[in-house]
Amino acid sequence: MLIVALLRCTDLRAEVDPLTGAVSRDPRTASLSAADAAALEHALRIADTWGGRVLALTAGGPEADGPLREALALGAEVRRVPLHSSYIEELAVDERSLAKLVVSALGENRPDLVLCADRSADRGTGALPAFVAHELGVVQAPGLVALQVEGDQLVAERRLDFGRRERMRVPLPAVCSVEGAGVRLRRASLPASLAAANATIPLVDVALPASPVRVVQARPTRPRPRHLPAPTGTSRERLLALTGALLSHEPPTVVGPVGAAEAADALLDFLVRHGYLSEARTGWAVP
Amino acid sequence: MSEAIPLTPISSYRGIGFDDRMDTVEFRVAERAHIVVDSDICRSCTTKACVTACPANLFAPTSDGGILFNYEQCFECGTCYQVCNSEGALSWTYPDGGYGVVFRQG
Amino acid sequence: MGAGPAGAAAALTAARAGASVVLLERGPFPGSKNVYGGVVYGRVLDEVLPRWWEEVPVQRWVTRRSTMVLTETQALTVDFRTVAWGEAPYNGCTTFRSDFDSWLAGKAVEAGAQLVTSTVATGLIREGGTVVGVRTDRPDGDLRAKVVIAADGVNSFLAKELGLLPSTDAAHLTLGVKEVLSLPREVIDERFGVRGDEGVDVEILGCTRGIPGGGFVYTNKETVSVGVVVSLEHLTAAKVRPEELIADLKAHPAIAPWVRGAEVKEYAAHLIPEGGYDHFPTLHADGLLVAGDAAGMCLAAGIWLEGVNFAIGSGLAAGRAAAAAAQTGADLASYRKDLESTFVLQDHKRLRKAPGLVLSPRVQGQYPGLIADLVEGMFTVTNPTPKPGVVRLLRAAANKHGVKLRHLAVDALAGGRTFR
Repeated sequence: MLIVALLRCTDLRAEVDPLTGAVSRDPRTASLSAADAAALEHALRIADTWGGRVLALTAGGPEADGPLREALALGAEVRRVPLHSSYIEELAVDERSLAKLVVSALGENRPDLVLCADRSADRGTGALPAFVAHELGVVQAPGLVALQVEGDQLVAERRLDFGRRERMRVPLPAVCSVEGAGVRLRRASLPASLAAANATIPLVDVALPASPVRVVQARPTRPRPRHLPAPTGTSRERLLALTGALLSHEPPTVVGPVGAAEAADALLDFLVRHGYLSEARTGWAVP
Repeated sequence: MSEAIPLTPISSYRGIGFDDRMDTVEFRVAERAHIVVDSDICRSCTTKACVTACPANLFAPTSDGGILFNYEQCFECGTCYQVCNSEGALSWTYPDGGYGVVFRQG
Repeated sequence: MGAGPAGAAAALTAARAGASVVLLERGPFPGSKNVYGGVVYGRVLDEVLPRWWEEVPVQRWVTRRSTMVLTETQALTVDFRTVAWGEAPYNGCTTFRSDFDSWLAGKAVEAGAQLVTSTVATGLIREGGTVVGVRTDRPDGDLRAKVVIAADGVNSFLAKELGLLPSTDAAHLTLGVKEVLSLPREVIDERFGVRGDEGVDVEILGCTRGIPGGGFVYTNKETVSVGVVVSLEHLTAAKVRPEELIADLKAHPAIAPWVRGAEVKEYAAHLIPEGGYDHFPTLHADGLLVAGDAAGMCLAAGIWLEGVNFAIGSGLAAGRAAAAAAQTGADLASYRKDLESTFVLQDHKRLRKAPGLVLSPRVQGQYPGLIADLVEGMFTVTNPTPKPGVVRLLRAAANKHGVKLRHLAVDALAGGRTFR
């Protein structure tokens, strides 16, 4: 069984020049985001349970070698697809070409499971997992907050609106993307870290597929100027309107002390009464 | 025109606010707190030196005479335990490997 | 232990001598936990890295050195500049520790040392009285070694574990706080009167609300470092928050024009061991050597403020001694002898009285005002009253600041002896 952890190693505190929009990234602080670390940890856990092997794969410059050595020390195989590391050049690599690139880097090794972060820390479109799933022709489960092995099943959990959760079985092969929540990346043992300290990271040299994106110019977003009408009335009137100092207010209703359920009902009742919640949509039973 | 309100000249503002100041530094927060304060011992402390000396302002006195401490935005300088004069009140270690402050322009 | 200048230098010499070296660092990369005043004097590297200046990650080469004496409203500057410091082999440079320490650790790795980052040494492994390794916080983290070099910084918990360092020592520590302020390169060049790679190092006395210590301003490429260093003991007693002292300094009429409009890029703090020669720990134990800040190797002697070069110097010696001990079973005591034969201990020994003198109440509290008033008196044209004589001015200034001429003479003599 092959589990691929698709990682993104980048400076998590890159500096953006507010005037020119130039992004400066420090290669020394290139590291895995919380979500990437969670993806790697999930991969290791699933591999531990099912006896699979983990391949940590990244596309990027040599600054990614540090985090990859850490993955190596944790027992994963590692590969790096060399890619330009200039920010402008990277912009031209859209998610679809990147997905094609990493899938072609896998070659004949068809993974049973691909794990990655729900979105990268710097680009953040979150589109890569879907494109990878498409390229591999497998199912996808994006944006997971939990991922466990239950017997011979992989069970995932995902956030839904209104605080609900969705639990689903993920049939393999699949692409799963995870949020940086719930798990922390384990630490490598000292002997393994020592062994990995000076390891050379194997490169996979595959050609970057032609990207439809061409970067003409990169500059910071400047909002268009908007016409705002001059304020009317005196400053005193505006101040009163803003603060609502002389308006009458509904006095606070004291409900308690009551139990948690009754208090919740009272709150929901209030929200429905004032139009913040619609009874029909939420399906709450209001007493 | 009404009389002009004298404006504070920009130059007399004393730098940036403390939160903004701390925002300039990267902290990788570990799960384990590397500073632990025994507030019971602090109640008998009269100097509470850590409150003013800590450059990251991590220690706050509480109304009952104890000390409320934070560890997340710590420079790991060691000032707090060096100036603490109450035996055993403050225990301090380095945070776990790879966590804690990351200076780029130290 | 510790991939700062001392640890990296030790790893470099030990690895070059053929020893098997592991360099452990608790931060995610070397230098990530380190803060310093601002100038590295690199000549100590001559013997191990010839032409180091061609590759060291430098911000600016210091070609202008100013010593300032400040009172609330006055400033007296002694300013020196030379073209010589801007050419090889150079004198001092400003750099960031994340750059410099990473570079030096990289040299150790090139020489064959194994660098493992994100790893904290939690204790020593001892057998009998002998140190035989370190415990780390990684799983399966015990590492056995013939020699452990504790270059784990001013808080050295390894040296403390053996009782070589006192567990707390606020009297001989100073707290340095620093702001890195960003300004465009041309603005820095203009305000500080430099060009190209030239940089300025300004040391300041008398800007710390009477708390013993001093301030500094250094130029980097596109940033200026401003900070203060104050006695921990007196800072605590004065109940002043450290960042207030930086704000004071930045608002001073002599400093404010330099940093006007600058934005804080990073705020940092670190402790500095300033006890000097008389408060060094024992530098070695059975199986253990202490180097760098852990050994109190900062020279804080008023006009000389150096640390990184002493850390490197002690590290180089520690690496040599450790390699010899590991390979031939030589005595680790050779480390101290080696240090005594070099600038590391000789400078410290010569200037052993300096920290006490420089941080003394008169030098810190009264002399800045006295000197500034004296100079102001000399240069204030008081027509139609004729010029007062210098001696009269000196008497008046001394009286105003509560200094007896006898004290002046005593301190001048002490200064002469200390800095001879």
